Parts: sequence; structure tokens; C-alpha cells
Amino acid sequence: MSERLPDDARLAAESIGQAGLVIGIPSYNNGRTIGHVVRAANAGLAKYFPQFTGVVINSDGGSTDNTREAVLSARVEDGHLMLLSTPMGVAHRLSFPYHGIPGKGSAFRLIFQMASALGAKACAVIDSDLRSITPEWIEHLLRPILLAGFDFVAPYYHRHKYDGTITNSIVYPLTRSLYGLRVRQPIGGEFGVSARLIARYLERDDWETDVGRYGIDIWMTTIAVAEGFRVCQSFLGAKLHDAKDPGSDLSAMLHQVVGSVFMLMREYESVWRPLAGSKEAALFGFRFDVGLDPVDVNVERMVAAFHRGCQELGEVWAVALQPETYAQVRKLGENPSEDAKAFHLEDELWTRVILDFACAYKKHPVVSGQLMQSLTPLYLARVASFVQETRTLSSAEVENKIERLCLKFEELKPYLVRQWAGVPDTKLDGQPALEGSERDKEMKLEV
Amino acid sequence: MVETMRKVLEAVLERLYKYVTIYLPSLLAALILFLAAFVTAVLARWLLYRIFKGPTIDRFLRRSGVAFMLDPSGHLRATRLVAEGVYWCLLLAGFLMGLSVFDTDVTTQVIQKLVFLMPKIVVAGLILLAGIALGQYLGRGMLVWAVNEDFPFPRRLATVVRIVIMFVAVVVAADQLEFARDVFLAAFIILVGGGVLTVSLAVGLGAGGGFRRYLEEKRQKSEEPSERSLWNHL
Repeated sequence: MSERLPDDARLAAESIGQAGLVIGIPSYNNGRTIGHVVRAANAGLAKYFPQFTGVVINSDGGSTDNTREAVLSARVEDGHLMLLSTPMGVAHRLSFPYHGIPGKGSAFRLIFQMASALGAKACAVIDSDLRSITPEWIEHLLRPILLAGFDFVAPYYHRHKYDGTITNSIVYPLTRSLYGLRVRQPIGGEFGVSARLIARYLERDDWETDVGRYGIDIWMTTIAVAEGFRVCQSFLGAKLHDAKDPGSDLSAMLHQVVGSVFMLMREYESVWRPLAGSKEAALFGFRFDVGLDPVDVNVERMVAAFHRGCQELGEVWAVALQPETYAQVRKLGENPSEDAKAFHLEDELWTRVILDFACAYKKHPVVSGQLMQSLTPLYLARVASFVQETRTLSSAEVENKIERLCLKFEELKPYLVRQWAGVPDTKLDGQPALEGSERDKEMKLEV
Repeated sequence: MVETMRKVLEAVLERLYKYVTIYLPSLLAALILFLAAFVTAVLARWLLYRIFKGPTIDRFLRRSGVAFMLDPSGHLRATRLVAEGVYWCLLLAGFLMGLSVFDTDVTTQVIQKLVFLMPKIVVAGLILLAGIALGQYLGRGMLVWAVNEDFPFPRRLATVVRIVIMFVAVVVAADQLEFARDVFLAAFIILVGGGVLTVSLAVGLGAGGGFRRYLEEKRQKSEEPSERSLWNHL
């Protein structure tokens, strides 16, 4: 594997030789926050895994704000300040630019290649914009692998009820209903991975797809769950991180993440089709309540975006959605002047929208990208409705609401299986679905 | 004088008789050939409607969007496409065979031109189909992008994209057929050049303020805390 590494990385790996643990930190213009993350990683390795040789690897996407310099110059705390009883060894610290398509996935690929070259037993990857990371995160991400034999450790956080809406509305309910395992944060951003699973990831050849961009998190989680690796979760506390660049392409993010889920559905069809229901993934760590940053949401703008989508994207949604689903969506968008506070998108309708889009992604490969991008207004409608419904609810009550959505996804799995196989839909009351010319609407396709 | 008229009439009738004896058999033969081709075409079409289903071709036509282009009502089937195609090909072949019976310079030239033109017509047709398909694809992409980016008049933008792509396809097809090449090419250059000049003048003279306002609004929206918070993390 080391011959595929860039020269500088290969030389560094050869000079270190062997390392027990690797912490990977992908970055792009995170100079402000990455120093803290590196210090936490170093402290975590020193405090909880002093018996291992640790390496902290930063995989950078060409930062122009001295991110790499911040990594290499981050000051490590003195051992006595961390109340260590053993002398503190400082982990190796490396920083390389990654190659391949720009994105987090390409950064992870370099980290995994280095971990493999160094013969690491386990690797933890953490985001470079974290403000709430502590050295304990390193322990929680790696100890289940080293001591309990797990292959994949997903994070479990406390998050603000309006944070992680793609996770709460789409990715968590969908992957839970597909693969039968309740991984609460499948795209959390912080993971622990065993050497065995790293080798599997590196065998794959889809790094140049959306996996290389925002799809990397769900790709890692899905492979781990679908291919029978041992998966658990670890409680990390609160997730507080820097705001994303507001100029980033939001529609592209949604497209890449959800598109990756749909792409993997095609690959693992034989795994998810026969499954029903779901079971809990093991959860490690001591759970406690934490305070969270408030999140403001502009509901009116989201509802306006949905109504605009209804007016302009009807022909595209008619391709993606089943006739009955589309009719219900159109009915929802009938009154653009309706008060945004009264806007409500039912769980069942939302579930059918996502499942229809998944089937459309499979059926119409030529235009799948356009179909995914047209999901944005519908997603904003869902978020607006969710925010309205949960304004006065506590975090626990919101979690119950998300649980009800997940159960709806599981309940409608037979509907997904039928649509996926191209079997005609049935109405909600079990009667045969719309016929003839409505079914012929699928001819109005594709390009 | 009567004798002269008789001789003239005799000459005319003789010429008429000569033309009829030369061309009538050919005409009859041509008509028989055309009739035979017509009967064969009808039989072939009937047979194909009976036995040819073509689900694979149907799927390809649907997925590639050709079906919708040719028949927006959505009732196009591969069976109909193949059967009608065979029918018209056989009819055309019969017509050409009938023409070849006369064996004159004119008919030979017509047949040659048609035969040599056929591949070019097919290629030009494919170019137009490709243009329609590409126009629809890019137009739809523009529509979705413009809606997501909150651009004004997304449908008009999409229509402009479709028209431009289609126009390029028409120019290329005309070039392929060697039909009014210079006219189409000149029209294309004038249209594109004029469009670029118009946009430049509009932005420079009048739309600059509007454009600045739009960019400023976009910047302000992106700085709103709610917008950032919503997309903080997936």
C-alpha cells in the first residue's frame, strides 16, 4: 500500500516505521480551530494510550490560512497539567496535502493509507473545526476497538434540536430502516476504525465519486454495517463546531450525502431488502446532559423556497415521485400565501418522498444528479415543518418525534421494496394504485 | 392542305405511339414494383406489430429520453417505431426501384442523389435528436440550479439554454446536409455575437446596479445567522 502514497508521506511512514494508533484530521482552511483539535488529540493519546506509539496526521486540501503550520506548531500541554502519573510521550505529528478530487473523502483516503502503512491497530478521524473536543473523545473512539474488538465506532452526541437536520430527517431514519441497525449519527464526522475495516475501505475503488466529497461519512458507516463489521457507538458529549462557509454549495452537500446513500442502496440491495425492523447499536460512554449553542432558523424563507419549487420544478418532481406522492406534495404547495407558521409536512408524506427519490435515483441514472438537486426545496419544507412542530419541545421530546419518523420509515419499507422492484404501487388503503395514463407519466423521463 | 394536315397528324400519332410503346411498359413495370413494395411494406408492418415486442429497446428509449422527445404523450413503443420504420423503408425502396426502371439520365441522377443523401439524412437526424436530448438535459439542469440559487425567471433561463443548444444542433445538421451552410452559420455567429454584445451593454450601462443589488442581497442572506446555523453540520 505504501507505494501508492505520495513521496513525502511514504518517507515519513518509513521513518516512523510502526505505529499503534493514528488520529486523522482532514482540513481545509481551518487554521483558527485546528490547533485546539491537535492538542486534544495529542493529549488523548498521551493520557489514555501511553503504551502505544501514536501518530497525528493532518490531511490538508490546500489551505491558504496556514492550517498546516498551525498543526505542526500546536503546543502540547505539559504532562503535570494533565494530571498524568506517567511521563508523557508526544505523538508524531505529520501534515500532508492530499491528492484526488477535492473533498473530505480524499483526505480520509490519505489518512487510511498512512494508517495502513504504519501498521496501526486502530485509527480515529476527527473534524478540524471542533470546539468541544476533549482528550476523552480519543479514548471513546479507540477503546471499543482495542479492548472490545469492535471495527467501527460511530459518535453519539448531544446536539441542538435544529442541528444535524439532514441526519435527523433523512440519513438516520433511512439507513436505520435499510440496514436494521440504529446508528444515531451515521454521518457524525468523528469515527473510530479498526485496521481490518481500514483495509476494506482501501480495497474499494469508488473514492473518485461523491464518496470523495461529502459522501465519505455515510459511505464508511454503510460499508461497516452492511458488510457485517462490528459496529458500536460512543458518547462524546456535545458537538460544537465552527459554522460552515456560507458560500459553500448547500444543494451540492445534500446531493452528495443523500446521493451516496442511494448509490450504496444499489450496491447493497441484497443486504437491505430482506431486513425488517432495527436493533440498537451498542453504546459506550457515560451519558450526561450538556448545554448547547442556540440555533436560529428562518422558517419563512424555507417555506418560500418550497413554494418556489412547487411552481418551477413540478415537471422534475413528477419524474421522481409516484403520482400519489406528487399529488400530495402539490396540494401542500397550493397556498403560497399561507402563514409559514401553519406549514406542516406529514411524516408519512416525507417518508414517501425520500423513498420515491431513492427509487428514481436507481431508475433514471442519466438524470439522477438533477433529481437529487431538485430535492432541496422539499428538504427545506421538511426542516421548516420540523422546526414549527418542535419549537416548544424539549430535546427528549424531539428525540421521540425523530423516533416516530424512524418507525414510519421502517413501516414503509415494504413500499420501498415494491417500488425498487418496479411493482405497481398501492394506495394508502391497500387499493390498487393509479393506472394507465398516470403510470405512463414515467415515460416523460429521463434526460 | 388536307393532305398536309393528314401527314402532320400521322406524324404526331406516330410520335405518340413511339413514346407510349417506349415508356408505357416502363411505367406499368414501375407501378407494379411500387405496388409490390407497398404490399410487402404493409405485410411487414402487420407482422412486426404481431411478433416484435422489444422491451429492451423500450427501456432504452425511456431512459435516454428519446421516447418523450418523439411522443410527449408517452405512448411511444419500440414496436411502433420499428414497424413504421420498416414500412417506410420498404416503400422508399419500392419507389426507387420503380424509378430505376425508366433508365434515363434524370431518373438515374435522382436515384443516385437519394441514395447518397440517405446516410447524411440519417446522421443529420441523429444530430438533431442529440441536440434535443442535450437541450432538454441542460435546460432541466439550469432550471433546477436557478431555482435552488433563487435566480429570477428560472424557466426563461432554461428555455434560453434549450433554444441555444437546439440552434447549434440545427446549424451542425445543416452543415452535414450541405444545406444553406453559410446562412445558418452566419445566423449562429450573429445571434451569439449579438447576444454577448447585448449582455455586455446591458450590464455595463443599465443592469450593473441591479446586479450589484442582487450580489449584495445574496451576500447578506448568506451572512444571516439562521442560514449558517441551518447548514452548520449535516
